[in-house]
Amino acid sequence: MSTKFSGVWGTFEYLDDTTEAVEELRRKGVVPTVLSPCPRHEIDHALGEPQSPLPFISLFFGAIGCTIGYSLTAWTASDWVLPVGGKPIVAITPFTIVGFEMTILHAAIFTLLGLTILIIIDSLKNPIPKAAREYLRFQRDRFGIVVRCEASQCEIYEELLKRYQAEEVYVEKG
Amino acid sequence: MASTTILETVEDSSRSLPFREEIDEHRGHPGIRATTFSYGQINDDMLEMLEKPHPSYFLLVLGFLSALLLGAVSLAIQVDVGIGNSGISHPIAWGFYITDFVFWVGIGHAGTLISAVFYLTRAPWRTAIYRSAEAMTVFAVMTAGLFPLLHTGRPWLAYWLIPYPNERYLWVNFKSPLAWDVFAVTTYMSVSIMFFLLGLVPDMAILRDEARIRGKILQAKIYAIFAMSWRGTNHQWIHFMRGYLIFAGLATPLVFSVHSIVSWDFAMASIPGWHTTIFAPYFVAGAIFSGMAMVMSVLIPVRIVFRLEDYISNHVVDKVCQVILFTSVIVSYAYATEFFIAWYSGSPYERAVFYFRPFGHMATWSLTGDQPVSFPLLAFYLMVFCNVIAPIPLWRKKIRYNLVSVWIICGLINVGMWFERFNIVGSSLQRDFHPYNWGEYWPTLVEVGITIGSFGFFFTLFALFMKALPPMAIMELKEAAEPPMRKGNHEH
Repeated sequence: MSTKFSGVWGTFEYLDDTTEAVEELRRKGVVPTVLSPCPRHEIDHALGEPQSPLPFISLFFGAIGCTIGYSLTAWTASDWVLPVGGKPIVAITPFTIVGFEMTILHAAIFTLLGLTILIIIDSLKNPIPKAAREYLRFQRDRFGIVVRCEASQCEIYEELLKRYQAEEVYVEKG
Repeated sequence: MASTTILETVEDSSRSLPFREEIDEHRGHPGIRATTFSYGQINDDMLEMLEKPHPSYFLLVLGFLSALLLGAVSLAIQVDVGIGNSGISHPIAWGFYITDFVFWVGIGHAGTLISAVFYLTRAPWRTAIYRSAEAMTVFAVMTAGLFPLLHTGRPWLAYWLIPYPNERYLWVNFKSPLAWDVFAVTTYMSVSIMFFLLGLVPDMAILRDEARIRGKILQAKIYAIFAMSWRGTNHQWIHFMRGYLIFAGLATPLVFSVHSIVSWDFAMASIPGWHTTIFAPYFVAGAIFSGMAMVMSVLIPVRIVFRLEDYISNHVVDKVCQVILFTSVIVSYAYATEFFIAWYSGSPYERAVFYFRPFGHMATWSLTGDQPVSFPLLAFYLMVFCNVIAPIPLWRKKIRYNLVSVWIICGLINVGMWFERFNIVGSSLQRDFHPYNWGEYWPTLVEVGITIGSFGFFFTLFALFMKALPPMAIMELKEAAEPPMRKGNHEH
């Protein structure tokens, strides 16, 4: 994948330089990938507040878990009847505890799975060059911007990143 | 006032700290100096903690391992000989093991409270301590989970607790609180472990790259496996932060539900002293109380050894102490309510049990009297002293800023909370409705050995964690710190 990458990437020392460069890129119709040592809401603002569909995955599988919890208890109570003092065989109140726990458990497991799958999908859709992946200071104290573009446009974005005080700018033409 | 001036004020003297500080997220938190550090410095400080340990660390681990070995030997004897080898017998069917179970589940609660509830409420002081507290949750729940299995007497048949299709067409009784417990504790343990591991991923990527910078290739390869190709792209962060928020939202009801369900193991029974509606909030408050005390018992020595006063600042200790104080008041109120309701209910059985707890047998009690001091009696007075009286000095700010005092008080609370659990578990069963059903309980050496072993298990795991994984969430420390700005820090 890295050999086919065509675009420009740069490193930044300062957050405000990074966000200003991102805003400028978005004005030019480019949606870059931004690398940062920690999550910063300034970057989200600059990128136009992208959203994750993860809450829907959690909600859906939480609902499935809830159904499983209530169904399992109701079915097993009906399958092996334990009559206690004339109390209901399918008793909703005690079964709510199992329903609740199964809701939480399923939502948590599938949130984690969904998170992993979404990250894999996004990294396939928005590849970054091997050199940027192996740049060691993105996990330490540097910000990065990756712009995917045609080889003919690389110079424009190289100049843009430099204008916003990028420390280092690299061009890769596939 | 410049932020540095406020910082100096906080560190030097608590007297001039304003009642409520104005917090500017772009200028760091006034009570936590680390929030003014650069990202690189935070990395370096955290990595320093993972350097080759001092020989005294190995001595400490050896001590914990000795306790663990004692527990393992006792456990082997217990399993080999059978449950009759313990002091548990009719009518006291629940003794040390269930006490230990309730105690350890409670210890775990502080971690979830700090990592989930205080995350949702955006409490800035949680950042430096939440990773360690979360690790404590995982280890405490793992420790707790051993006891119900052991208590069954035949732990190799523990899978009977899980509903699965079998040749006898039998199912577990979902109306029993013991079946609820299986679901509650396994869910709690699973969610805690997932939450803990999720938070670790970006930090493992930091360790991977820092190991590469330092030329430690083998370490880098090991960390790379756990970092799962984390690069810190905006796509990764957006899903990660959303997932983290969801996990916090899912873990928050667990803080309140798990110990409520554990309390219903007792409250659902008709035993005098157990059958009360106050048990759920009483247990949850007690769990947070003991968990927070354990967090301080462990993290105060960690702060001193690793010189982490810039991270686990006096401000952080103060806030944890305030939570301890708050829950101490709830627990004290619950103790008083139990006695009041026993009297107010008019039930002779309830009254008898609550007379029995402070005064021993039903006969007239005297200091030099005609009866020895019984174990439940000891448990009751230790409980009251450690949980009601010992935290009172924390009302003074000066005490909350004195690490030695806080550590001693928190140690006493841990002792008191263990005895509180015993007080609930043991004493009620000693005096049932009918005198024919009365009995005494003394633990055997095997039970004491396993209890000591559980502490060895917990502290061994925690000591290994301190040196194997970043004890503070590096990513969150950076998020809380001032970002590097060319044009200075300002609101965006």
